[in-house]
Amino acid sequence: MIPQPLADTHDVVFDVEHITLRFGGVVSLNDVSMQMRRGEILAVIGPNGAGKTSLFNVLTGVYTPQEGRVLLRGRPGDSPVSVIGKKTHVINRLGVARTFQNIRLFPALTAIENVKVAVETRQKAGPLAAMLGMPWQRKEERDSTAAAYALMRDVGLGERGNELASSLAYGEQRRLEIARALGTNPGVLLLDEPAAGTNPQEKRELAELISRINRERNISVLLIEHDMKLVMSVADRIIVLNFGGKIAEGTPEEIQRNPAVVAAYLGTSAEDAARQATDQPELHLIDTQLEPPPTDEERSGD
Amino acid sequence: MTTLETPPTTTPTPPPPPPAMRRAGNETSRVLLKRLAGCLIGGFVLGLMVNSKEGSPDDFGFVFHQTALKPRMLIFLAIGVVIFAGITFWGYLRQHARRPGVRPLGMGILVIVVSQVVLNWYDPQTVKFNGLRKLVDKSSGLSSTTTWFFDWLSWTLVALSVVVTGAAIVTRRRVFGWVTTVLGIAGAVLAWTAHSDVLDLGGGIDHSLGAYGDVIGFLILAGAGATVALSQAEVADSRGFMTRVMEYRPGLPFAVLGAVLAAFSYARNCWFAPVNRNLDFAKTHDAYQGTDINSLASNYLGWLGWVCFVVVAVLTLAATYLRQRLLGWLAAGAALVATVLTFFSLKSMTDVAAKSVPQFGKSWNNLGAGGFTACISYGLFAAAAAYVIARPKTRAAGKSATLPVSRALEKARNSANMKALIVIALAVALFYPPMLSQYWQNVLVTQMAVYLLLAVGLNVVVGWAGLLDLGYIAFYAVGAYTTAYLTGSLPRKPPSWLHMTPLLTIPFAIVACLIAGVLLGAPTLRLRGDYLAIVTLGFGEIIQIVAQNNPGNFTNGPRGVEPPVPHPKLEIGGWKITWGLDNLPYWYLLLVMLAIVVVLFYRLENSRLGRAWAAIREDEVAAQASGVNTVRAKLLAFAIGASTSALAGTFFASQTGFFDPTQFDIFTSILIVAYVVFGGMGSLPGAMAGAAVLTWLPEFLKSQVPTDDRQMWVGALVLAMMIFRPAGLLPAKRRKAELSHLDEASPGEVSAIPRGGAM
Ligand SMILES: Nc1ncnc2c1ncn2[C@@H]1O[C@H](COP(=O)(O)OP(=O)(O)OP(=O)(O)O)[C@@H](O)[C@H]1O
Ligand SMILES: [Mg+2]
Repeated sequence: MIPQPLADTHDVVFDVEHITLRFGGVVSLNDVSMQMRRGEILAVIGPNGAGKTSLFNVLTGVYTPQEGRVLLRGRPGDSPVSVIGKKTHVINRLGVARTFQNIRLFPALTAIENVKVAVETRQKAGPLAAMLGMPWQRKEERDSTAAAYALMRDVGLGERGNELASSLAYGEQRRLEIARALGTNPGVLLLDEPAAGTNPQEKRELAELISRINRERNISVLLIEHDMKLVMSVADRIIVLNFGGKIAEGTPEEIQRNPAVVAAYLGTSAEDAARQATDQPELHLIDTQLEPPPTDEERSGD
Repeated sequence: MTTLETPPTTTPTPPPPPPAMRRAGNETSRVLLKRLAGCLIGGFVLGLMVNSKEGSPDDFGFVFHQTALKPRMLIFLAIGVVIFAGITFWGYLRQHARRPGVRPLGMGILVIVVSQVVLNWYDPQTVKFNGLRKLVDKSSGLSSTTTWFFDWLSWTLVALSVVVTGAAIVTRRRVFGWVTTVLGIAGAVLAWTAHSDVLDLGGGIDHSLGAYGDVIGFLILAGAGATVALSQAEVADSRGFMTRVMEYRPGLPFAVLGAVLAAFSYARNCWFAPVNRNLDFAKTHDAYQGTDINSLASNYLGWLGWVCFVVVAVLTLAATYLRQRLLGWLAAGAALVATVLTFFSLKSMTDVAAKSVPQFGKSWNNLGAGGFTACISYGLFAAAAAYVIARPKTRAAGKSATLPVSRALEKARNSANMKALIVIALAVALFYPPMLSQYWQNVLVTQMAVYLLLAVGLNVVVGWAGLLDLGYIAFYAVGAYTTAYLTGSLPRKPPSWLHMTPLLTIPFAIVACLIAGVLLGAPTLRLRGDYLAIVTLGFGEIIQIVAQNNPGNFTNGPRGVEPPVPHPKLEIGGWKITWGLDNLPYWYLLLVMLAIVVVLFYRLENSRLGRAWAAIREDEVAAQASGVNTVRAKLLAFAIGASTSALAGTFFASQTGFFDPTQFDIFTSILIVAYVVFGGMGSLPGAMAGAAVLTWLPEFLKSQVPTDDRQMWVGALVLAMMIFRPAGLLPAKRRKAELSHLDEASPGEVSAIPRGGAM
């Protein structure tokens, strides 16, 4: 899989080169390189424990890889900056927002407050202005409320603003997390399994929401997802990780036909898989159930 | 490195094989046995706790021996058995326990038991209920009902009430409910008459609370009976009931309470109390005839006082009854005018008396409680008016009580409640302290006041930002020493242009504490919860030891400050206030400081920084990923908390005048954390309530239990609070939400006791 040369290197959002991340003996990411282009929806797939979330954590500054470098041009026209060693909130300010695999909202805050927290990280008024109730601070407060409500409506939670985040339904919490991420006005959005634990109807809506965010806000999306139908329907390109290494990269069609990918998912060797794929043309990745559907326990608590 | 995601568990644990019946039986009997043992040990510990510790207070063996041998041990073991039975048969009891009236019943019994076991009943002899019974038995000249009441009648009434109410609840017969009501009222009347009987015979000055507690307890029992008789509901809904009461005529309960209090104040209360005399309103008027008191005060005592009362009461009742916003404003204005008039008259009275007959006592020391009670009652009227003003249109809500009430309405209700409560709290804070005895005024200023401020400040750090700071006292010390330095009370004198009066040092103390807060915070805030607690603990200790060691002869070491820090002075234009040795003025100074701090912090809590703190507390990683600069926010929490303690330090330094390093020990630091946790982490009123209750209680217990036992009872109360109400006395809105989802939340969530883990 040779990555296709990019027409204009300025249009690269994330430029990841040879990163390796180890936890003691465990190698979570092994010499991974990738490039994410501006405006695309790039999906990262791979079996459990492949290192997808670890990649996200490296890109957002939660983990520091032992080797390699990561360059970021968060918003169009930005000059490239290295992500390694930067604090998470600094990277967020550079235009990278994310959601989490196991939902991490602020449960004791209301839904609208969750979004406001994100929106307000871009505001100026300090504690003194707040204590004295300065007019500009009040204006900012009104602005953030309005912006947060606009975002909530955008993800279809317009009516639920005053509910506690923890009292929302599972799918709603997932969408609230997306709204919160959008609140920081990002150039690139990292979604970690946004469809996990949602029903088919919600999955369709989610796919629609992701493409809409990508289209209308011109936000590049990096998407981890196990649901192949969703990935194939929204992704422009796909990267496949297995055991911490990148094993494939390409368009959805290419990935579906890739014997190494099929092997990784079926747990057989690449040659076997290739033979199987030719023997049984109907065997398609899209039918592979990569993960057991979540049980009720998994839905209600992590 | 934080673990972001727990790897998914791929192998579900197989369900355990169905246990054999015999094993299950064993299991339950073991649980029961454990529970019984726990309850009996609990009863035994209770027995040890209420022991009077005859003999040497340190001879624990002796105490143990006494407790174990006395037959009263049986009582406590019996209590243990009752609790055991309660827990075991909870399933059966529960269907009845949820019925209306059960909670008031329990409450009433609790109040009566506390009154008849813990509280004093007759001060001249310092006896409790039981002691008074022995005295009454020995003395003659008391009516027979009084003797009976102390002998057997009161406990019999309680037992009867319990049995009858229980019967009413189980059989659903209303008659039994009414019987309890009659019993309760009878008990209240008997308790009142018996106590006054004793007073009439014995004489002397009595401030004991036992009889009053008893009366209230019996009245609650009567209320429980009425509730059982009147309510048909299966499940008690006290909140709904309260709402309906308030909805019926907005603020009516406050108005009625105010009317009763005011009537009592004008008709019965003592207004003027020079040495050895208690004069009520009318007699005070007579006493001031012919003195050179100004005409307004004279008229007030003559007729204006009553007119004030009638006008305010009529206006307020009309406003609540007609739900008229305009009338509400009128009533509030009238209440304000009445308060000012009353206060002005009181001032004239006390000044005239202090001038003409100095032996009657200094200004403000020769007044009775009456005038201040009247002021508080006007506060209640004003609260009712505020309720009317905040929610004039409640009729619709009252009608749709069965429908789910819309959120907007609930919000309006909450804000109305809050306004009314703020008015009442203010009235009480302003006018209650003057009624207190010198002793309690001293306690209020020296024990409570400073801790109110400190608790409010620590609440920022612990409650809002979620940082466990065990060295908070260090900032208090920095504030106090800064003030001492700038007022020239330390060996090192400030340059003359920097020498100032205590109140002027406040900004400097705040800056010093801000710097100290940042100095401590910057290197340590990267640490996680428990480690931060240890480091701050060390910081507190370091500051104290530095103060002891007197580096550069700055702090004067263990000898403390000298000369004393001067008392505060304030001069604005020609207007001059000086504080001296009297306690009460300090209370008002503190009230001003507290009011400012609370208003500022209330705004802060609902600002972006307040939300950022909540976010960090809830999930630090997610907060960072949402762009929150967590280190900065935490630093701000530290600094803002520290600057509040600077205020407290200044207040403390100039009020006591003298202090030394021993006052800033770790123990005090941990006490403040306890106040915040007890009151409700993250709740402004909670922090204040926690500090108030926990500083008041030890002083109160001084006269009720042996001195050595005080902290034990305080500890028991805190323990009970953490078990039964972990969110605290007045839980924070945000925290409450957090705790109520405990059962669903991640297992890492903190709770006092794991679900189902209690015995
Ligand atoms: N903080 C950590 N400490 C130790 N090991 C870790 C840590 N984070 C991840 N790992 C390990 O790194 C490997 C990759 O984990 P990662 O969470 O990135 O997988 P993933 O592709 O997101 O899997 P899934 O589909 O289950 O979410 C796993 O073996 C995991 O145990
Ligand atoms: Mg993952």
